[in-house]
Amino acid sequence: MAKAFKATRRGIIGTLDSGERQLLRKLFEDIIELLEPAEPANADPLAAMVGVDSTAVTPSDSAVRRLLPDAVRNDDGEALEFRRLTERSLREDKIGTLRGSALLLESSPLTLTAEQARLMARALNDVRLVLADRLKIETDEDAARLHNIDDVADADDVETYLALVYNFASWLQESLVQALFGLKDK
Amino acid sequence: MTVGTAPDTERLEETDTDQLTASDIPWVVIVWNDPVNLMSYVSYVFQTYFGYSEAKANKLMMEVHEAGKSVVAGGSREEAERDTLAMHSYGLWATFQKSDAP
Repeated sequence: MAKAFKATRRGIIGTLDSGERQLLRKLFEDIIELLEPAEPANADPLAAMVGVDSTAVTPSDSAVRRLLPDAVRNDDGEALEFRRLTERSLREDKIGTLRGSALLLESSPLTLTAEQARLMARALNDVRLVLADRLKIETDEDAARLHNIDDVADADDVETYLALVYNFASWLQESLVQALFGLKDK
Repeated sequence: MTVGTAPDTERLEETDTDQLTASDIPWVVIVWNDPVNLMSYVSYVFQTYFGYSEAKANKLMMEVHEAGKSVVAGGSREEAERDTLAMHSYGLWATFQKSDAP
């Protein structure tokens, strides 16, 4: 069973059993797969270097659209232009965060620096955004409805299982954030 | 309509500074509410990325939560773009716009 992350003088320490670490690694890999660009990097080396992607379009998958949202509202043209200039860098940034977090799961207990804890909190946030999309969590009421699902014995359908995983990721992220706040006082 | 007159040097400098400020601050970054992001995490991001105090970060976070959105930063267009991307990197839902846009 997982033990919440805590701030200590040696860093942020938490415990995850092997099944939990395996689950999280799988989730991080799934999101990496969602974020891998469909098109190869721009053939123009300068464009590739600065992350410009003239072929980028608004993602059709609503979960990917939540990970890479429009930066401009009510102006699709402006939003698309900004996406072409920045989306590839954002994808790479997120993939790097997810890869780095997966590597941190190699051992248990986990002893994290603040930087590593931030990395994992960001990765868990992306996991939660995707799960929330699959679970159709669109309002605070939707989120509250799923909040009490915490018993593995109830997981007899996909939605309940996803809700369990979502609640686990939420609990873990909350404990990381609290530990990060706690670290300031050490 | 005003008639252009040649201002003296001192006046010109003042006007230049004013114009610089005016054209430097018309962009804002807005963070929108969603049912997923943890309140603690949102406040942590505001404190860590923008360097806001806990009180200011919590106030902005509550505004996002209760009013549905909050203007969390302002500056030049480049700054607003950079901050918006940073928010996306943290997984927050953010947009940038001219400060006088509806």
